[in-house]
Amino acid sequence: MTLTRTTRTGLGGLLLTTCLAAALPALAQDAPADPDTGVEVIEPEVTVVPPGNDAQAQTDTQTGSDPQTDAGTDADAESDADTTSDTGAEESPAAPGSNAEDTAPTEDTDQADEPTPAENAPTATSSEPEAAADTGDEPQPAGADDSAPPPPPADADAPANADADADADADDGAEEGGTEDGGPAAAATGTTSTAPSTDMAPADTATADTEATDTAPTDTAPTETGPAETAPSETAQADYEIGADWPYWGGDADATRYSPLSQITPENVGQLERAFVYNTGDMPSAEAEGKYAPETTPLKYGDALLMCSAKNVLISIDAATGEENWRFDPGVPDEAIPYSASCRGVSLWTDPDAASSDACATRVIEGTIDAKLVAVDAETGAPCEGFGENGTVDLWQDIGERVPGWYAVTAPPAIVRGVVVTGAQVKDGQAEDAPSGVVRGYDARTGALTWAWDLAAPEENRDGPPEGEVYTRGTPNMWTTAVADEELGYVYLPLGNSSVDYYGSNRSEAENEWATSLVALDVTTGEPAWSFQTVRHDVWDYDLGSQATLVDFPVDEGTRPAVILPSKQGDIYILDRATGESLFPAEDIEVPTDSGVEPEFMSPTQPVSGYHTLRFDPLTERDMWGMSPIDQLWCRIQFRRSEYQGFYQPPTSDRPWIQYPGYNGGSDWGSVAVDTERGILIANYNNVPNHNRLIPREEADERGLRPIDETQTASGGSKAEGEGDPQAGAPYAIDVNAGWRSPLTNMPCTQPPYGGIRAIDLETGETLWDQPIGTARRNGPWGIPSYLPFQIGTPNNGGSVVTAGGLVFIGAATDNLFRAIDIETGEVLWTDTLPAGGQANPITYEVDGKQYVLIAPGGHHFMETGVSDAVISYALPD
Amino acid sequence: MADHTTYTTPHRGAGHWILMGVATVLTLIGLVLLAGGIWLITLGGSWYYAIAGIGLLLTAWPLFRHLTQGVLVYLVVWLGTLIWTYWEVGTDWWAWVPRMVAPTVILVILLLCLPMLSLRRRT
Repeated sequence: MTLTRTTRTGLGGLLLTTCLAAALPALAQDAPADPDTGVEVIEPEVTVVPPGNDAQAQTDTQTGSDPQTDAGTDADAESDADTTSDTGAEESPAAPGSNAEDTAPTEDTDQADEPTPAENAPTATSSEPEAAADTGDEPQPAGADDSAPPPPPADADAPANADADADADADDGAEEGGTEDGGPAAAATGTTSTAPSTDMAPADTATADTEATDTAPTDTAPTETGPAETAPSETAQADYEIGADWPYWGGDADATRYSPLSQITPENVGQLERAFVYNTGDMPSAEAEGKYAPETTPLKYGDALLMCSAKNVLISIDAATGEENWRFDPGVPDEAIPYSASCRGVSLWTDPDAASSDACATRVIEGTIDAKLVAVDAETGAPCEGFGENGTVDLWQDIGERVPGWYAVTAPPAIVRGVVVTGAQVKDGQAEDAPSGVVRGYDARTGALTWAWDLAAPEENRDGPPEGEVYTRGTPNMWTTAVADEELGYVYLPLGNSSVDYYGSNRSEAENEWATSLVALDVTTGEPAWSFQTVRHDVWDYDLGSQATLVDFPVDEGTRPAVILPSKQGDIYILDRATGESLFPAEDIEVPTDSGVEPEFMSPTQPVSGYHTLRFDPLTERDMWGMSPIDQLWCRIQFRRSEYQGFYQPPTSDRPWIQYPGYNGGSDWGSVAVDTERGILIANYNNVPNHNRLIPREEADERGLRPIDETQTASGGSKAEGEGDPQAGAPYAIDVNAGWRSPLTNMPCTQPPYGGIRAIDLETGETLWDQPIGTARRNGPWGIPSYLPFQIGTPNNGGSVVTAGGLVFIGAATDNLFRAIDIETGEVLWTDTLPAGGQANPITYEVDGKQYVLIAPGGHHFMETGVSDAVISYALPD
Repeated sequence: MADHTTYTTPHRGAGHWILMGVATVLTLIGLVLLAGGIWLITLGGSWYYAIAGIGLLLTAWPLFRHLTQGVLVYLVVWLGTLIWTYWEVGTDWWAWVPRMVAPTVILVILLLCLPMLSLRRRT
């Protein structure tokens, strides 16, 4: 009786609970890429030291000296031990090894016109003062350096002292010298000095650079450069064949992510098992907790896998066993972490003029989150002493005040015709007066500046800004990866927006002209050949996030060299590689203009692709979702209360507006993969709106929203990009609810799928299959995992690999699964549960006739997929 | 069955309290849906929620009085919800989750309550 009844009711309750909890998956969202800051200390680590350096300690150089500087920089000095450098004039900080004795010397190198140690020292000194001064005034490049330099030198000792001096000096020097350019010449000079011994190194380096510099600096003349370089590159390129190796971040030089390997097939992929698991050891310190999103994709070259960890430790491991060959820690401080500690990958360059036994004949080059280019020997991990200052080039040079986390490199550089091309991520949403989006090319051998492309002052600053000035501030930047056509000598730069993404009335003509465009830049001259703009007057943060892919596109009469450009809006454009002409009609659509805060600024039309779009239809009230009618009702009310007239809804302030698609795509940095044999393009994408509001300045001030250079109390890493960004200098700050999650349940207000993967016929642009990607297993209301094995389609970050074997390998989704998909059908044939999210592009390679598939599941703080330092390789059982 | 007596007799058993609890919860949900639903209507949105809110209130009232009619009213609400769901989203099953899961859970609970109810008040 009573009992019975009770029991029954109880059951009902239980059921209710269970159902509610289980049935509704929510999803996490993803994240963008950028920054936060934190302050921390630097850890000095040391690493393996390659030959030259001995003890390494790192140094921070900077520091002490000027207060201002410090702040910015790393420094704080933690001076730990090391000296690093900062400084550097153009480039680099100190090479550790070398300097051993004094930090000073090292730095000088760059600038120094002459290499003598002695001289350097002096220089340094002088510099300091200046440096300091500069900083104060304007943002100067040199001044602050921050980051710790790289390699720890032998001297481990003196950190503290060293710091101060060194830093300053170096910087100054650089500026003064103004020598950045040097580049072209360098090549000519052939200075590659690869000086072996560390000690010596400084000097050598200097020399080399100098020469180069002298020669070249002034001339902008590309021509000269061109020839020499060209030759080399070709050679280099020849060595880099996709197949057994995975020599480029995008697989091959064309970034197709297609491998001719075919040992693993749909028939046997079910037997795939882990071959080895390697751990990089780079896990967040207490201060960096919640700020890691390594997003790392190794290269495979020869017998080794070459990679960087989240905080830029360069590592080589055996590709078959996972045993570590060497590592090199450039000493990136925690406070340099922008939105996330990320290092998507590294690039390789083989010096065509070097004997294979020479040091740094083949080098690994990375950009770091504290804005350095670092080059080490691929065989030993020893810094390339002839590159910049003992293997390091300081990218803060001529950028302005060094504010850690504001200017960071997270993508591998493109290397074409011997020129290392890199942009940098400028932390979004901070201020109009932000670091420049300048894209620079450096000589791969010497690290000397070959050219700079400052889109607002291309001629004036081609060889670097005049002394005492910096590259044009607040211009659109390139934070993602470029691809290059070695033959044409063009590098294709996917540009983003200026730092202030959501307000545009006060932007310059140059910003309006170049933002959100793919720019084909001639690497021999540093001049744009053509550009293709995907958004006019972008106030939605629709940065181009994907690396473009080069293909020979099938047309009636054979093929045509083309570049595939995916966008965050989901449009995929096919452009002529030489001219930028669209191979498919690029259509214009009319978009709403009058409902926002700056109707005059809105473009009445926007381009869409006539080839293919990943974008879904505009939202309607019925697309609102939830775990029950109550929260669904809440979302429906919000939908009706928000400003939304469809795609390209202008930003509003009196009430929120819906942006759909949101800034996560469409296609983001994972990019697309193209099976060039089957003629299939594989694109994974996000399908997530953002719910935003412009915050009037007064309200922003009340909320205490300040730009990064005015506060170091950066928000936690779990904050969404744009969630309360100050946009200093604009009349409005911005509040972004990325993924438009309901505050009631933390689930999205819109219904699934939140992400998918699609196969597209390359020739026609027609969809072959389209599947949600990611199961609901880790998602649910209030973050409670539902364990539902159904493919719901989660937000995803990270791309795919396609193989001749007929498989697509991809992690990316928030379910932390790594999966193999049949390229013909879209069916998931195999999965493995990763220790954290697979927000990284996988690769495939071969050693001794055995095919491996590898992913580094580092997780992503904002996608709530944990954190891991694992690198996992899979193969079929023997 | 044999228990009928138990029910009829005054109240105060555990079953009574459970029933009161269920009816109270349904009342609250009904009020929220009604209020929010009216708001949504004024914004130009769906009428479903206000109507469903009324349906839940009409369900709860008989339940407070231990009457089976509450369940019958709810069956109508549930069937209406089913039809509305199909009309609004067709066979997009993920879209059924917010619309049908919770209402179906309530249906199950009410069916489990049936033994505590009767068609006529006993007093």
